[in-house]
This record gives sequence, structure tokens and C-alpha cells, in this order.
Amino acid sequence: MTDLNADLAAPRPRTGRRVLPRWSPKLAIGVGIIVVIGLWGLLGPFLVGDPEAIRDMGLTAPSRTHLLGTTQTGQDVLAQLAYATRGSLFIGLLVGVMATVLSALFGIVGSYVGGLVDEAFSLLSNLMLVIPGLPLVIVISAFVPASARGSWTIAVVLAITGWAGSARVLRAQTLSLRNRDYIQAARVAGEKRWRVIGVELLPNLLPLLASQFVFAVIGAILSETGLSFLGLGAANSATLGTMLNYAQNGFALQRGAWWWFVPPGLIIALFGCGLALVNFSIDEIINPRLRDIPRRERRNRRRTQRPVKRLDDGAVLDGTVLDGTVLDDAVPDGTVPDDGAVLTVRHLSVTYRTERPVHAVRDVSLALRRGEILGLVGESGCGKTTLAYAINRLHRPPAEVTSGSITLHDRDGEDLDVLAFDRDELRAFRWDKLSMVFQGAMNALNPVLTIRAQLDDVLTTHRPSMSRGERHERCAEALRLVGVDPRRLKAYPHELSGGMRQRVMIAMALLLEPQVVLLDEPTTALDVVVQRGILRELLRLRTALGFAVLFITHDLPLMLEVSDRIAVMRDGRIVEEATAEQIAAEPRHPYTRHLLDSFPSLVGERGAFIRAGEDERSQAAQPPAAASDDGIAAEAETR
Amino acid sequence: MRYYLRKLAFYGAALWGALTLNFFIPRMMPGDPVDILLAKLQQRGANVGPSARRAYELLLGGNTNDSLIHQYFAYLGNMLHGDFGVSVSDYPTPVATVISSSLPWTVALVGIATLLAVLVGTGLGMLAGWRRGTWLDSLVPATTVLAAVPYFWLALILVAVFAINLGWFPLLGGYDVSLSPGWNGAFLSSALRYGVLPALTIVISSAGGWLLGMRNMMVSTLAEDYVLTARAKGLTGRRTMVWYAARNAVLPSIAGFANSLGFIVAGSIVTEQVFSYPGIGSKLLEAVQNDDYALMQGIFLVITVAVLGANLLVDLLYALVDPRVKANG
Repeated sequence: MTDLNADLAAPRPRTGRRVLPRWSPKLAIGVGIIVVIGLWGLLGPFLVGDPEAIRDMGLTAPSRTHLLGTTQTGQDVLAQLAYATRGSLFIGLLVGVMATVLSALFGIVGSYVGGLVDEAFSLLSNLMLVIPGLPLVIVISAFVPASARGSWTIAVVLAITGWAGSARVLRAQTLSLRNRDYIQAARVAGEKRWRVIGVELLPNLLPLLASQFVFAVIGAILSETGLSFLGLGAANSATLGTMLNYAQNGFALQRGAWWWFVPPGLIIALFGCGLALVNFSIDEIINPRLRDIPRRERRNRRRTQRPVKRLDDGAVLDGTVLDGTVLDDAVPDGTVPDDGAVLTVRHLSVTYRTERPVHAVRDVSLALRRGEILGLVGESGCGKTTLAYAINRLHRPPAEVTSGSITLHDRDGEDLDVLAFDRDELRAFRWDKLSMVFQGAMNALNPVLTIRAQLDDVLTTHRPSMSRGERHERCAEALRLVGVDPRRLKAYPHELSGGMRQRVMIAMALLLEPQVVLLDEPTTALDVVVQRGILRELLRLRTALGFAVLFITHDLPLMLEVSDRIAVMRDGRIVEEATAEQIAAEPRHPYTRHLLDSFPSLVGERGAFIRAGEDERSQAAQPPAAASDDGIAAEAETR
Repeated sequence: MRYYLRKLAFYGAALWGALTLNFFIPRMMPGDPVDILLAKLQQRGANVGPSARRAYELLLGGNTNDSLIHQYFAYLGNMLHGDFGVSVSDYPTPVATVISSSLPWTVALVGIATLLAVLVGTGLGMLAGWRRGTWLDSLVPATTVLAAVPYFWLALILVAVFAINLGWFPLLGGYDVSLSPGWNGAFLSSALRYGVLPALTIVISSAGGWLLGMRNMMVSTLAEDYVLTARAKGLTGRRTMVWYAARNAVLPSIAGFANSLGFIVAGSIVTEQVFSYPGIGSKLLEAVQNDDYALMQGIFLVITVAVLGANLLVDLLYALVDPRVKANG
């Protein structure tokens, strides 16, 4: 236990991540249990009488003189429990330390050194992992005469049979760490190997090592208990396992002497539980995604009432902070319905309800006309993806639509209020009326399902009346549409190239002939030639099928080429909206001009591409008095 | 194809490693097991000739004129023929017969219990990860208590409650001894009734680990783009949860099966002891208590082969559930 605390408390100056677990009820309970049981094992033996003393009162129930009753031969159970706890904790710690050292040796050193050593170490730990541990321990113990079976022998045997699992975990982590920049830098700088491992690598592995140590302690206590229960434990030792062994042999169970066999098991269970709770907190350092999230509030999950039109803080921001940044006459008012629009967004605001609320989308109004391509341009972090997700209601807590409306003007003339949909209506709306192609085409396809399955489930969900054959024909047709051989339906995503995958995604988006397709940086991850091919295809399909496109990108020159109209977004607002020709010829907002300038001609030097929204949250939450704004203002004046 | 070959080669190596361990352990340990064994045999009135002595010496070492290498190959030959010698505790039954009569009990018990534990554990883990932030979160700390409970202690508690106090299930054994074993309804239903508590023990104590692993992987998987795509596609929550999130989240659990199987086997050995279940775990302990080294070694090998076989099977199945492994070799 002391080792554990030392591990957790050791300072780690070089790492940027959290070192100490966050203080949470789980951790507090865990540490509390461990401390109480640890103290009981440490001090308990001094407080109780002789555990071996035999009295003439076999198997008496708990009483004042014997708080936990007596055994068959009249020994005090409480006294035995104190010594047994100490014995079990001792073995657990001993094995925990030894097994962790072994696993560190085989896992970290092996994978760091690499080459043959790594191969050999890895094979060895995999072999040890598949050979069943307890039968091996039993066989070894059986060959050692009882007289020679001391605590240390048992501890060594348990450590030797118990290190392999964590060695494998540590190896995987070391392999990923050793290619990180700072380790590479230390190696290039000529640091000695042991120094790189000890000073650079080990501190970053500490949370993982600590968690493996905790596992090793639990495992060792459990194994030793099992072994002693079977009568194969260390000779003359007193552990919780031997207590249970005596209880079993004394027919405690059949004679109903629960006070004899319940407490030892309870101590093990509680101690293991305490260690596991501590491990949760360590796991949360290793994998921050696992952290507790507050229970979702019901009102966030189902939005039935209409959102309020406008929030007070939004109005304040409107009036004081950003006024003058937006060209009032350059953006559609949004209150007057746009003729021929397929999608209208009015005064939409999206806020991340974090400790400091972040207004990612502020009072945005947009109208997308039937069959047109509207480019939504802005730097990363300006809120354009948040806007896209909100239109499809894909945003998740803590993001929340705080005001505004989203309306889809359906082909048959009906106006659909997207924010008022209930769960089933929303599901029916998605993909059927409005589909999306995501930024990371590489990861947008499910790696374990075939292309056909992933196209097919769209049809089975939205067009339940289609027959199997019709669905197949439709999927093949969609692939043909985007220039992919329908034989590829049988393929898995990893068997396709990046460009091919994005084409499949586009085919999927067109499967139901939606009226609007949202493209969220659809080609960013692809090389330029593939990018061009896919875009050309999209333009052709748009002409042929007549869907409207909301194209989200940071690539303004690209938008000038392909889109009908362009909306420029910054800090959650649309600052300018005009036709592509107007934007190219006479951009009106200083930020638009700046964006245009920051894309140099192919031969020129790279412009200073401003990235005011590098940190979306802090940027958006603060008044935009950052240097970049001054820069724009200054530039705007010099023009 | 390369994937399968590599797996086969690995488990071949593991089997060879286990056989070798089995050969060297008795030779490295103090004491002379052959003499102890032969003394026991003589007590039981067995006529121990030089050939029997030699067979045991091959298995366990001892005073022999043969070189270690020679002993090793003769031993490997015996093992490959399934010739494990004669059991002392069940003299004169051959070890192979003792094993083959007790193995089915353990395979059925551990097999069914493991299957149930995996289904219950991953099922609940899937839900707990999917519905994060609801009452299902409280399952997570509960599993830690269960995972930390020693198998046999849980077995003792179950016996105390359900067999002794409530009398719902029998206390000990694998079937009603008044019935003769066979494929008839009375015997099978009796075996089923006797198997409930041992199986329950294994399910309760191992399902927690599956739950926790699955839940954590679900949480990680839900952040993947393909889950977002599934939501955008308007699929039902059920289909998204099962075919997009869980289908991917379960892969590490399957890949880590080897690790869990070791615990389950260990747990079942001790559990069998509590219930005096007529399986191979009880036999192993009986062998240990009687210094029946031949039986002990035979059982160790059989358990190892069974575990390796189960792992091989899972690895081969893994190639079916994750199409990427074959491509990466």
C-alpha cells in the first residue's frame, strides 16, 4: 500500500498530463477501505489475544468476550482474522512488487530495446499468458515438500506465474510511447539508454504501472487465498486462505458457523474492491474519456417545447462585443422566408454548457436554395462544424441549441420544424431529407461491416417496403453513380483506398435522394488529384439529381470555384454572405479580404493565415480583443 | 492464411513449452517423487516391476542411467501416445481413464458458465456504456466487489444460503448418486440441478470483468466517427448500439479471452473442491493430496491442452469477426 501511494505521489515534472487522480467519491471510498484494512492488518495483531489459544468453548456465536465467536477448537476468530489479514496483505504486497518488476522488465525494457530481444520477451509473455496459472502453481507446490514451502517460495511462484498479462499491456504502451517526439529527441540527443527509460519513459508509464501493480496485488491475494484454501499454501503461515481452509475442514458451513467463514472472505472482497476503486481513478488518468459525466438532464434529451427566441447573454454579446464586425446588410435577415429555399436557419445559437459557457454558434441565419451549392467558409474553430451538426441535431450535451429555428421546406410544400421533431420523427428526417458526408472519411465507415451492409441498413431503416433484390439494385446503382465498381459491395472499408471510401460515403449520402447534402470538409484528408476528381463528380451529380449542398470548408479558393454562394463564418457568426463572384471580386468584410489574401498564389510565399480560433473555447468565450483582430482592423484601415 | 499458420505455430510452441515445463518441474524440485510413488503403490499391494519403475522415472526423473535428452524424448513419446501411467489414488486405473471420466463434467460446467458470463457481462457492459449517465453507471462499482470476491468463498456463501438454509439445491456432488449415469432425462435433470450453484459461482464472479471491459470499450467506441455516421443515417438506436458501437467494442474482449480463461479455469478448480464436483479440478486436488504425481501431471497437461485449444478456437473465430486481422497477418 505504501508503495502504491509512493507511486502515485512521485513528482513527474516532464509530463504534461495529470499525475494525481482526481479526488472523487469513488477514490475516497477506495482509499478509505484500503487504509482501514491496512491498519487492521498492521495494528490488529497487537490489539487481539493469542489466535492459537484453545478454549473449551468450540463454535460459539459472536458474543461480548469473542466479538466474532470462536472456531471449532475455541480459538478466537477475531484474533485469527487480525493475523490472517496481516499475512495476506504481506503476500499480496510481496507478489505485487515482484510481479510488477518482472512485467516492467519484460514489457518495457523488451519493447524499448526492440529487435530480437523484444520478439523473445513478447513470445515468452504470451506463452506464460496462455499456460493456465493456478494448475501450474498447484503442480509446483505439490512437488515442493510441505516443510520447504515458506511464504517466500509461494510468493516467488505466484510472481513467476502472474506477471505476463501486465507485461503485455506495458509493452503495447511502451511501443506507442517510444515513437513520440520527446523520446526520439532524447535518443537523438545521445542520452544513455537507461536514462531514456528511467527519466523519459518511466514517468509517463507510471499511471499504467500503478494500475498494473494494483491488479497484481489483488491477483496475488486471491491466488494465495485459493492456494491456502486448498491446503497448498505456505507452511505455518496464517492467511485468510488458511482460515477458510480450517473453516471448511471444521465443517463451519454445515454447522452454520457463518462467523467463521464470512469475515475472511469479506475482508478480501472489500480490500479488492478498494483497490479496484483506486484503479478506476488511475484509469481515468490513462484514458480521460472514461471520466464520470454528470447524469444527463432530462430536458436536454427531449426537446419538445420551442427554444426561447434569444438569450439575454446573447443579446449582450450582440450589442457590445461584436457589433460592427457583422455587416448587417450583407447577411440575410432570416425573418422573411426566402423563396425557393429548401433549408432555412433563423437566428440559431448553439452553446456548450461547460463551466464557462462557450457560444459556438451565435445568431446565425442562413437560407439554402433548392439545388444550389452554398459554401460555408471559416477557419477551424469558428463554429461551422457545430452549426452543421446542429442542423441535423447531431450535437450532444454539453452542446445545446439555445435559440433560433431550423426549417426544411419539403418537396411537397410542407415546412418541417427540425427542432420540434420527437425521436422517431428526427430519425425519419435524417438521411431521408438531409444527409451528411463527414470530415474523416477514413473513420466514417464501420470497419467490421461490409460496404453493402452499411448501405443496406439505410434502406432497411428508411424504406422498409423495399425487397432484398431492390435494395441490392439500389446500392449497386448508388456505387455506379460515384464511379465505384458495384462488385466492391462485398469489400470491407480497409480494403478500399481513401478516395474510394469517400466516394462510398457520397454514394451512401445520395442513396435516399435527399434534398440537402451537408459536406463537412469532405476532401481534406485526400490528396489533391483525388480531391478534384471527387468534387467534379459531386458537381455533376448535383446537376443531375438536383440536391442542394451546404459545403463546409476552410478552403475559400476552392469555394470560389465550385459554389454558387458563400457565407463566411467567424467566431460563431456569419460575417458576410454573397455570391461567389461578389466575394471574389469585391469582398466587403475585412475578414473575408484577409482570408482571400492568406491564400497566396501557387508561386508566392505563404501568407500569414490567421487562426484566431485556434482554441475555440477560450477564444469564443472571450471578447475578440486578440492580436489577430487588431491585425485585421489595422489592415482594413491601410487598404 | 498466414494468420492461421502463425496462430497454429504459436499454440504448437505453447504446447511444447507446457510439456517441457511438465518434464522439468519434478526434476528440479527437491525430494524423490518416484520413491514416494512406488512406496504408495506397494502399500496398495501392487506388484512393482522394473518396467513400472522405469515408466515413472521417465515421467518424474530420479535415478536413471539414461541421459536427460534421452529421457526427454522418451517422455515426449509417451505423452503423444496419451500414456500418462497408472494412477495411484485410483489404482490400478490408468491416468488417461481417470481423466476421460472426469473431464466432461468440467468442460460442460466451465463451458456453459463461461458462455453465460460472457453473454451477461458484455450485454450489461454494452448497455452501461451506451446509456452512460443513467442508473446503469452504478453497475460499475458493484462489479468490482464481485470481481474481488474469491470464487470459493462466493461458493461457500451460495451453499450456505441456497443449499443449507433454503434447501433449494443439493449441497455436494455432480448428480444424484442413486441414479446411474447415462443419457436419460432423470440423470440429465439431476446433473443440471447439481450444476446450478457451481455454474452460478463462476458466472457471478467472472461476469463483472466482462462488464467492465465492455463498458469502457463502448465509451471509447461511441466517440468514433462511424457511430456518428450511424446516428446521422437515422438508424434506430438499437441498430447503432449493436452493429456500430458494440460490434467494434467487443473486439478487445475477444482478443483478451486468453487472459480471462486462465482466471476461469483457476476459479473452477477451487469451486469444484467446494462442491466436491466430480470434475477434473477435484481430481487434481485428490492427486495432490495422495502424492499421485502421475495423475497430477496428466491433469495439468490436459487442462493446458484444453485451455490452449479454447484459445486457438477463439483466435480463429476472431479472424471471422474482425476482417482486418487477415490483411495484417
